[in-house]
Formats: sequence, C-alpha cells, structure tokens
Amino acid sequence: MAEAGIGVAERPAKELFAGKRFSRWIEQRIPPSPQITLTQRNVFIFPTGTGFAFGGLIVLLILGAINYQASLVYGVAFLLGALFLVTILYTFRNLSGLRLELVGVRPGFVGEDVELSIRVVREAARPREGIQLGWPDGIMQWAELIEQESDTVKLYVQAGRRGYFDPGRLLVETYFPLGLLRAWTWVDLSARVLVYPKPLFQEFPQSVSGRRDEGQLIDPVGSDDFHDIRTYRPGDPIRHIIWRSYARSDDLMVKQYASYVEPRLWLRLETVDGDLEEKISRLTGLALKAVRLEREFGLEIGTSRINPGQGEAHLEQILKELALYGL
Amino acid sequence: MGSDVNTQGGRDAIGIAYQIPRNTLALLMVAQVVVVLPYLLQLSPWIISVGLFCGLWRMKVYQGRWDYPHRLVKALLVFASVGGVVISGVGAFSLEAAASLLIVAFALKLIEMKSRRDAYLVIFLSYFVIATQFLFDQSLVVASYQLGALIVVTAALVGLHQLHTRVRPLVSLKLASALVLQALPLTLVLFLFFPRIAPLWTVPLPASGTTGISDEVRPGDFASLAQSDELAFRVVMEASIPPPSQLYWRGLVYSDFDNGTWRAAERRRAGVASGAGDDTGLAYEVMLEPTMRTWLYVLKNSSSRDTGVYRTLDNRLEARDPVMSVFRYRARVNRQAMDTTELSATTYLRETAIDDSNPRIRDYAEQLRQAYPDVEDMVKAVLDSIRQDPFAYTLSPPLYQSSDSIDEFWFDGRAGFCTHYAGAFVFLMRAVGIPARMVGGYLGGEVNSITGHLVVRQYDAHGWAEVWVAGRGWLRVDPTSAVAPERIEQGIRAALSSADLATLSVFTNARMGKWELLGDALRWADSIEHRWNLWVVGYDTNFQSRFLQDLLGELSPTRIGLAILGGGGLSLGVVAVVLFWRRRAVHRHPVEKAFRRFCDKLAGYGYERRPQESPSGFVRRIAAEVGLTEAQVGGLVAELDTLLYNPGVAWGTRELQALRSQLRRLQFRLAFGASR
Repeated sequence: MAEAGIGVAERPAKELFAGKRFSRWIEQRIPPSPQITLTQRNVFIFPTGTGFAFGGLIVLLILGAINYQASLVYGVAFLLGALFLVTILYTFRNLSGLRLELVGVRPGFVGEDVELSIRVVREAARPREGIQLGWPDGIMQWAELIEQESDTVKLYVQAGRRGYFDPGRLLVETYFPLGLLRAWTWVDLSARVLVYPKPLFQEFPQSVSGRRDEGQLIDPVGSDDFHDIRTYRPGDPIRHIIWRSYARSDDLMVKQYASYVEPRLWLRLETVDGDLEEKISRLTGLALKAVRLEREFGLEIGTSRINPGQGEAHLEQILKELALYGL
Repeated sequence: MGSDVNTQGGRDAIGIAYQIPRNTLALLMVAQVVVVLPYLLQLSPWIISVGLFCGLWRMKVYQGRWDYPHRLVKALLVFASVGGVVISGVGAFSLEAAASLLIVAFALKLIEMKSRRDAYLVIFLSYFVIATQFLFDQSLVVASYQLGALIVVTAALVGLHQLHTRVRPLVSLKLASALVLQALPLTLVLFLFFPRIAPLWTVPLPASGTTGISDEVRPGDFASLAQSDELAFRVVMEASIPPPSQLYWRGLVYSDFDNGTWRAAERRRAGVASGAGDDTGLAYEVMLEPTMRTWLYVLKNSSSRDTGVYRTLDNRLEARDPVMSVFRYRARVNRQAMDTTELSATTYLRETAIDDSNPRIRDYAEQLRQAYPDVEDMVKAVLDSIRQDPFAYTLSPPLYQSSDSIDEFWFDGRAGFCTHYAGAFVFLMRAVGIPARMVGGYLGGEVNSITGHLVVRQYDAHGWAEVWVAGRGWLRVDPTSAVAPERIEQGIRAALSSADLATLSVFTNARMGKWELLGDALRWADSIEHRWNLWVVGYDTNFQSRFLQDLLGELSPTRIGLAILGGGGLSLGVVAVVLFWRRRAVHRHPVEKAFRRFCDKLAGYGYERRPQESPSGFVRRIAAEVGLTEAQVGGLVAELDTLLYNPGVAWGTRELQALRSQLRRLQFRLAFGASR
C-alpha cells in the first residue's frame, strides 16, 4: 500500500492483520487491484463455529450408532457428514467467479464516514445468495445477486485523519447455504479516499469592511449602514422604527441597516487561531459556511493559491488542498 | 440492494435485534411436527401434548397473537414435562426417558427461539431427534419418512442463510433437496466403507417392543403371540429350504418349573467354541428383528462363527448384547448332535425337578412308567393317549387357574395351545424321573417366493419338549403333533378352528393365505423390506467384513482408507462437475444466438469479425467488401447493435423471425460473393 503516494493514512492495523507476516503474505497472494475476480487462488474457506458444532453432532451420532449398533443412525451421521462436504463445494462456488470492482468513492470529513461504491458482478448462469461485504469493524452489507447480474453496494468507513485514506482490505464473505462453512477473501481494491479535515465553525473573520459599491451585503441585520425601509415585523429593534412615518400612516415602518464587507473571502492560515490542525479545521469550516452563504472565497495556503470562486466544484478543490496541506 | 443488516459471526454491529426469517420459522415449525410425529407410537401422550402445546404457542407468537412465554410459564412447562416423564413410568435411565427429555427440550427450545443461535440449536436437535427414532424402528417406511424430515430440517437451515426478503419455503426446500440428493452417493461410500466397530459401552435399552418369546412361560402365553403377525425373523438358506415340519427354531430352553410357570435358567456359555463343528451341514443366515433379548433362534445343533455369538450349555446360541436392531447371524447345522455327552449330576437334578402339585398326572405317569419301562415307549404312549383322547388344539382354551393347573388341563379341560401340551408332557416325564424340558421358539415359517427367503412371524411361535434318552441325547418330542398334526405340517392356520381364525386380524388372515391378492401384496412388501434389511439395516460388522473382503480382497486399514478416499473423491467430484459445469452453459438471448451462428458461418468463408467491431459495423464492412447495397443488407441488421446490447428491448417472435431470415439471406449472398 506504500505506493499510494503522499499522505495515505492507513487504518490502524486490526488484529486480523496484526502479523506483519500475514500482511506480507496476503499482499503477495491477493495483490491490490481495482478489479478482482475471485478464484480458488484468493478464496479461503473454513468451518464456522456452527460447522464445528455440526461436526460434534456427527461424532455424537456415530457414538450412538456404535453403541446401539443401529445402521440407520450411522446412515444419518454419514448423510450429515456428506452434506457438510457437499456444502464446501456450494459455499466455495457461491463466492468463486465473482468480480469485484471499485466504482467510486465519495470523500468525507474526518470523524464521518466515507462512502465507497463497490460493484459485484456474477456470471449470467449462476445466481448467488448471501454474499456479504464490508470492512471488518463495519456493518456487513448483502449484495443482491439472485435476479440481478450485478449489484453496487455502498459501504461506509469511518475516516480517522485528513489526507488520502486507504480503508484497507475489504472482507467479502458468504455462509451460504448452511452456515457451516465460511468462504471469504480479503481484497484490496486500491481504494484511495480523500478525507477532508474536520470542520470547525466560527464567525467569518471581520477582516475588511469595504465600500458600499464594491462590497457585498452579507449581514442584513448588521448596523453600519442604512440599507432599506420595510414594514415592521415583530422582533425588529424598536430604535429602528420610523416614528415619523407612523404619524402619517397607520403602518409601522422600520429602517434597515446592513454591513458591507469585502465580498471575496480569502482563507489564510493567519486569519484563524490555533495550531496547524485547528487552523486547517477552521478554514474548512469557513469554506463550508461561505458556500452555504453563496460567498466567493479563495484559498492561500503554503505555496498554493486558489482564486476566489463559488460552487461545489470550487469547494471540493479547496477542501482537497486543505486536506492534503502539509502531508 | 444491500440494505439488510447482518449479524452473522458475532458482528452485532449496531445492536439491531436479530430476527429469524419468518419463512425459516414456518419451516422450523413444520419440521418440529414432522420430526415428533413418529414418536407418537413410542412416547407417552404427556410428552406429545407438551410438545404440541409448545408448538401451538410458537404458532401464536408467529402470528403475532401471543407474546413469548413469561419466565414463570417456561419454568412451569419444564417442571410439568419432567414430571410427565417421571409419571409416565419409563425407567429413569431408559432410552424412552432420554427420548422423552429430548423431545421436551426440543419443544421448549422452539417456544423461546429468538436468535440465530437458538435456531441452530433447534435444527441440530431436530437432526438428533430424527436419528434417535431409528433406535426404535429402522424399517424402510420410517427411513423414507425420516429422509423427508431431514430435508425439511435442512431447508430451515438453508432459509437462515438466504436474504430475508428472498426466503421462500419452496425455494429453500428445493435447494435442501438438491443438497441431500447430492450428498447421497458420498453417504453410500461412507456407509459401506466406514469401519463398524463393537459397542464401546453399555447403553440404556428401549423398553418397548419386547414382543416375542419371553424367558418365562405360562401355559397359554403363546396364544397371544399367535394373534400377532409381527415379524420375528427372516432366514436365507444356502440350500433348499427343508419342509416346515423340520424347521424347529430353538430359542429358549425352559428347565425350571415353579407353580405352573416354566423358566429358562441355563444361561451359561459353553465358552467361545460356538464355531465348533463340521462344515457340511445346512448353512443359513438369520435376520432377527429387535427383541431386546440376547437369545437367538436357530435350528437344533447349530453353530456359528460370527463374532458376538455364543453357544450355551443347553445347545443354543446367544448374542453377546441384547438385540436392539436387526441382528444378523450365520449358522450351520452340524450333522452330529452336539449334546450327546452324559448328563452331569446338576443337569440331571435340574431337568427332573418338579414340585408336588398336580397329583393326578403324577399317578398317571407312575402307571405309564410301569407299563413302559423304556423311555421311548413311554413317550409314544403319552402321545398316543393325546391322539386318542378327545384333546383339542385351540387359541382360546379355558383358564386353568388352580394350583394343579396341569391336572385341570389334562383331565378336565382337554383343550389347549402348544405350551399346554408341552408343559404337561414335560411334567409327566419328570414325575417319573425322566429328564425332560420345555423348548420355546418358532415352528415353520413361510417362504417368500419373490426373494426365496423364509419369513417367521410371531404367530409361528411354538413350544415343544425335549427328552433325554441315554445314548441318544436330547430328543425332540412335540406333543402338539399328536393333537394337531396339521399345525406341524401346514402351519397354524390349518390347525385353527374358524372361530379362532375369526379372532385374528385381517392382515394375519391374509398372510395365512385367506385372501390371495392382499397376501401377494404383503409378500411383495416383505421382499422389499427383506432386501432393505439385508443391505442396509443388517449391514453390521460381520457382514461388512465379508462384503469388503469380496470387494477389496484382503482387508487392511490402508485399503479401506483408500477406498473411502477414492469413493468419496469420486462422488464429490461428480457433484463438483454438476455444480461447476453449469457455469459454461450460459443462457443466451435468441438474437445473440442467431448472430453468433451467423458469425460462425461467416468465419467458415473467411470473414472474421475483428475484436471490438460492433455487430452492425462488421456486417457493413463485409457487405462493402463484397459490394452489396444497403437494401440488400436489410433493415434489421442496422438495428443489431441496439438489439444485442440492450437485452431489455422487447422483441416479438415475428421480428426475430425476420432478423433470422435476413441474416440467412445475407449469409447466402456473402457466400456467393465470396466464392466469386
């Protein structure tokens, strides 16, 4: 996973990958690839706890058959044993031949879930049942492959740090048909998900109050400049009421004041407080707020500079810059 | 879509309560009924009603009408059912008690089943209950029924692992049937080759089903047996079957007489030398139905070399363990009698011991003895007197209840069943010091003409006597032959009055030959059951080693291991081929099929479709090469792409026909163009 490039945060190794050896072995056995077809090379199969209990039941039945010398009790024991063995084929077949592709990722913020879309495709002639996928500590999702030939499953993983995030190996497993065996695989779909910094929300820094013709109204209830007259609504400050006009008509009118500020917001590390991570978080918060309020904003951080703009695409560009800053 | 939350494997991620799929629940409830039903014959109504009550409650929970039972209710149910087991009077450590508790545990688990783990437990218990039923009955009918039950239980297990929204009982059942069917060949391999070994420890025996001959006999006891057409055993003879009058199947020797009751006392083994004897006499194999007793039925002077079969001092064969399932043993009649040695003092004393009851017959014996000093003359005289005096042979004799019951029978009633005559005869002999004993077993049997085996039923039960004659050993004397010779020669039906016959069941009468058609049907069923016993139920240690020796030659662990591996591999391989072969046979759209055929034909003329060339592009290119106009190509070909890549496009048969004919015409033109 080292080739993933700058700032790829690997998830803390789970107990499953505790052994470096296992990690290295599986890297070789199932090398990362955005598209993987499951074969006998990369599918593992082993009895579940239930499977072992089933084995215990068979042993018990054979003991009973020996002691009672009952042929048909042997028969039941052997039939269950054979069922177990046949199930190995079924369980393996249920997973083998599936194709897994990473079809898309949706970035998220630190502390929230990032979304990964994974497409599971089967051959036309072989419906699958009970295919589940997910990350070991997440929720397993079922893929519906009975009527459909492919299913796109959206999986969510919690991101820990900003930057590129590698969710690690995806667990694909099945217990079908009897739950006595589990066939599974760990695939690395080379997913790299961008994780934005955790936003910290705060007021816009009251940087510059510009001239009226240049600036843009951002705070209609500010109190610097007269802006408009409108009818009174409950809650308006009493001192804004135009008593003279009330004398002429029966309508209560109020004066409106507003602030005019520098319309183009520049996000810079210097304008916010805290250590580097906190500053980045605050800038992220500001960027989100600016988009919501439809303000133009730009970013100047380190050597990179993004000119002010608006909209989702612009936001994504800025968030990406913030996410990767200093990594 | 992947919307279901899964909790398999302990990953209860966000605490969503697991729900067993409803269809699995339904299957489980059906499975419970199916699995418990056969026990109606073995268990007390108590247990069955607890089971049914739990089933009803679960049903109500399923329908959402009732809630799960309260803890108190559950505790009450547990006490009630354990109490029920105790009250029902089966022994504390008997198989019935164990089976009862199993059923109760099963029913109670069903009622509180909520989690997946509970479901597993119920399913495993069901498998166990299915197997346990075979300790009581291993007939073909029961086996077929239980195979069905096993499929239902497996279907419930399958349902647990299907997508909740997809679980349909019929789908699960179909898959379970396929699984079981595919497991059968492997089962057969394991069944044949898995080594059968002797019991490891003693186990509680089923108390029920001890029909047959008991080791204690009161005159008249065998009359109730005569009313049963239940199977006692089947015999396969190596040579032709001797006439019925020669087939005295000895089971027990009753030497002890006490107050009208005869008891079998001699149980001592004559050592391991059951196999002693020559190899020239009649050889036969008996498949004895479960008797829960150890004695075996053999012709006189038989020996056996099977393991687990012993000869006793009174010239019988016994099994080491009680016969709990069909027990097969091979035996051979020795040409020389095996008990001609002198009587020991102990034996003499035992075989002449009587009490001082029945004075009249003792007097009569004294008189006879004085007239006939020779033992054989004396025997003949007694038989003659039975023959000449108005004695009657009947299933329902008067009850002789006084302490002098033999006197009562011999001088007053003069009507009785085989044991009356045998008992009186032995008493009479012993009264004058001639060693004599009563023997119980079966006489005759019916030959099943389909498979050629001999069938002996309970109504063939018979009692006769043996008398010691110095120098000749124990001689068989059957007093019944004097009163009802037809019983000996033709079987019991010939000997019984029509009034007696009327008390027998329809099947018994049919078996005895009253109704040809029903009798034939029963014989046919019997021959199937016989083969089943021969190959499945009676496949035991002895038979297995003989069979495997024939099949593999010398038996060694390596050979058996290889046979299991080879056979198992082969049967699994066949399943694997079936499972993985289907992958190739991809179902194709008819349009695709037509186009593929077209391409194959064209490839024959040397027109290869280039990779990544669209179907219509390919056709156009070829058409241009040959110099065909657009009109000649045909309009539908232009739509090939849409057609092939959008399987959703609905095409009627008429369009398909049109496309096919256009492709064919085109193919013809291209072929023509190519040849030019």
